[in-house]
Amino acid sequence: MTALLEARGIRKSFAGVMALHFVDIDVDAGETVGLIGPNGAGKTTFFNCVLGILRSDSGVVRFDGRDISGLRVHERARCGIGRTFQRIELFAESTVREHLLIAERTRQGTGSLWKDLLGMGRPHRDEIARCDEVLELLGLGAVAEAPIEHLSLGQGRLVEVGRALMTDPKLLLLDEPSSGLDRKETADLAATLRKVQAEKGFAILLVEHDVEFVAGFTERSYVLDFGTMIAQGRTREVLRDPIVREAYLGVPATEGT
Amino acid sequence: MTLATGVGADFLRALLQGTPPGTVYALVALGFVLTYKTSGVFNLAFGAQAYVSAAMYYKAHTEWGWSIIPALVLSVFVLAPAIGLTLERLVFRYLRTGTSVAKLVVTIGISLALPNIFELITNFKGVVGRTPAGIVPNGAGVFYDPFGVYPFSRDELTTIGVAVFAMLCLAALFRFSAIGLQMRAVVESPRMTELNGIRSDRVSAVSWALSSTFAGLAGVLIAPRFNTLAAPDFFNLVVVAIAAAILGRLVSLPRALAGGLGLGMVISLLGTFLPRWVQSNPWLRPFQENLTPAVPFVVLFGVLVLWPAIRRSREVSDPLSGVDPPISSLALATRSARSHLIARVVTVGALGTVAAIVYFRADASWMFLVTQAVIMATIYLSVTMITGLAGQISLCQGTFAAIGGFGVYQLATLHGMSVLVAAPIAAVIAAAVGAVLSLPVLRLGGIWTAVATLAFAFFFDAVAIKFSWVGGGNTSLMQGTRVPRPVLGPWDFADDRAFLVLAVVVFIIVSIVVVQIRGGTIGRTLRAIRGSEVAAQSIGISPARARVVAFAVSAAIAALGGALLSIHQKNVNYGSNFSPVSSLFWLVLVVSLGSRTIEGAALAGAAYSIFDPLILRGTIFGWILRSPDRVPGIFPISPKWRLILFGLGTLQFARHPEGAVEYWRSRTARSLAARQRSAPGTPEAPDAPNESDAPNGAVTS
Repeated sequence: MTALLEARGIRKSFAGVMALHFVDIDVDAGETVGLIGPNGAGKTTFFNCVLGILRSDSGVVRFDGRDISGLRVHERARCGIGRTFQRIELFAESTVREHLLIAERTRQGTGSLWKDLLGMGRPHRDEIARCDEVLELLGLGAVAEAPIEHLSLGQGRLVEVGRALMTDPKLLLLDEPSSGLDRKETADLAATLRKVQAEKGFAILLVEHDVEFVAGFTERSYVLDFGTMIAQGRTREVLRDPIVREAYLGVPATEGT
Repeated sequence: MTLATGVGADFLRALLQGTPPGTVYALVALGFVLTYKTSGVFNLAFGAQAYVSAAMYYKAHTEWGWSIIPALVLSVFVLAPAIGLTLERLVFRYLRTGTSVAKLVVTIGISLALPNIFELITNFKGVVGRTPAGIVPNGAGVFYDPFGVYPFSRDELTTIGVAVFAMLCLAALFRFSAIGLQMRAVVESPRMTELNGIRSDRVSAVSWALSSTFAGLAGVLIAPRFNTLAAPDFFNLVVVAIAAAILGRLVSLPRALAGGLGLGMVISLLGTFLPRWVQSNPWLRPFQENLTPAVPFVVLFGVLVLWPAIRRSREVSDPLSGVDPPISSLALATRSARSHLIARVVTVGALGTVAAIVYFRADASWMFLVTQAVIMATIYLSVTMITGLAGQISLCQGTFAAIGGFGVYQLATLHGMSVLVAAPIAAVIAAAVGAVLSLPVLRLGGIWTAVATLAFAFFFDAVAIKFSWVGGGNTSLMQGTRVPRPVLGPWDFADDRAFLVLAVVVFIIVSIVVVQIRGGTIGRTLRAIRGSEVAAQSIGISPARARVVAFAVSAAIAALGGALLSIHQKNVNYGSNFSPVSSLFWLVLVVSLGSRTIEGAALAGAAYSIFDPLILRGTIFGWILRSPDRVPGIFPISPKWRLILFGLGTLQFARHPEGAVEYWRSRTARSLAARQRSAPGTPEAPDAPNESDAPNGAVTS
């Protein structure tokens, strides 16, 4: 059986600097995988290559058995790859529910100019019901009507998760979800994510800095350093690996920024 | 003289001929790049600054009879830097945090206001049919022929000399002075230099003064090439300069210089060689007749669309984002359904009363003005669509309206169709043009979209309308672009009253269309893209597709309005209705008053056609005082004030991009909310917004 996400031989360089050096990563359906590494290791570059924001110099990205290397960002999203952002990206001047509604409408792909003109473009009752279901699941039911400017950062992240969930993703890419959150908020977020994942059954690829979070959250992990895969396997074992400890956990001699 | 006969000699002659304007373009391009790099302002008011100096020079030298040197000193070395400093100190300093698009819109406002302010103060009337004098005596009458192929006039040689000298001065300043070094540093990275303790605001003030001097110098030098002295010619000059500057990718001063010089020469070469090709291929004639003036626009458009580096250098693309304070959604949140309804009823009632008065009591001229206001409001809904909803600045709405006007002219007058059928067809044509245009243009985003649409507007103005299948060709020259009024069953719209009703009906229908789109899938998709393009893509939205739809709908609305305007005036009147400069004024009006709402568009329509007769001529005081004789003596106020007021209204836009209507609304809503909160017995809202909330910044940045 092939994996849900298969990235093979991803290579990317910026002006001669090798950001990714033939990186292979697999994510199976329903599993939770971590991608860790120090700053500048190439995690975000890899992320962007998978999402199509960057084009890799060589290599193939297959998703659900289909080669998506040539697809554009929104087309890849429609294949079933959802994501959240490290620096939160919400739609200004919209309420929480509106974020989910537009995602739901996009997933259905039923909106058209003619329907808008005939007044059939406004949210339907069943769409609202579906959104509210997800909002309840995420514990955002109370703030459904609130403009996103009034939310806390942790809630904002959950809105991003909810927005991604409305697209029925098979894989959710989480880009440093703990950044900007304190310990308790991170723990809450992890708990909520686990609960939602159990219910919906999507896979998660987690790019993360916070080792504790990764250790508690993922089964398997990949470790990147200077664009090269230096370790992979069960998260706990990987984190014990001396090479990883040297590269990432900061043996003083190699401490960088 | 054997040399002067071959093709090579012609080539050389064309190059030499193109050098004097080329150096002026280079001068303007340099000044342009200077302000763009040191203060992030894409200064479309540059042409206006050049015009003011040229006009000052004309006023001092020709009208007051000053001799050349003092006139030059006053216009170029006193007035020009003073204007630059004033703009920096009073305007752009306070727009630091604004987006580049907001600043661009402000410069458009200034480019409309500045010439009028100058003309009001100095009582300058503009010059028609007389070539302004250069800066050397008898400049146009004495010729020198150093290479034996092209005789330079004294003016031309002076132009080259002065421009080169100015550029050398700039180079020396950059190289040898402390402020020059700092300017170079700021050009490289404003933030880094600030961290190094250099006050970049001082640097930016100096560079504004400098660039303004360059603008003034260029204005005075180029003026003798026109046989009039009017602000729009100078706006063209700045478009040329932008083309040159963009050839230098807006960063490199030497490349901008080369770009300007090169453009001057290319234009001259085309002027020499195109006629010869045309002899063998007559189909090229319309191009030959019009391509030469259109070269800068074609270059500008081509470079923008084809040069990937420009696309990548995009900045924040939403004119309504990145402003402080963040736009509050309080207006909608805290307004109760009841007060909303009351406001609706009051508005509709007031409008109905006005409509009834106009319908039954107004004389022909007021009827004309009100009808025009309604039609303009319809056109302005196209700006609501593209700027308010899609967050893009389009400077070619006038062109789309013109397509509507020429569409009905062609279909109705030349092909005998009913104008009521022709107008929707014209709208569909405009939608198609808009859709095709939007593919390359909207991908650019932000100021580049604005500039590319500006280039398109100028291209249409210079080339497209000359084609007989667009502007009517010779037929229109002989008979004008006349458009008939329609008859539909029992209604004859030749009657102005019936036509007013038609205009109102169209406005209402288009308003409903805009409201439906705003609340429907397209509107919410566009709002998502405006909020965060990457996030919108991450849920499967194709920004390109949504924007094409927005642009096409906007073009169709503009064309419908343009068609209606032409039918109303019984003539297309391209020059007075739809020129590129009028597009600029429309944009300025709508964004000042509110690009988000139907009310904003309606107010802008009223401001366009009724503000002048009602307010500036003091009519409203006449009504209030019950007798026109007691109107205070200050009336009539010059109609130039309209351009000045709304031009400067863009400042308000830069700070509150939601427009005056929304701003006022959210303010009243906020004060209402505050009053409710302080009232005893009312519990505080659980989710009271806190301005200093950390996620606030995170969300909007």
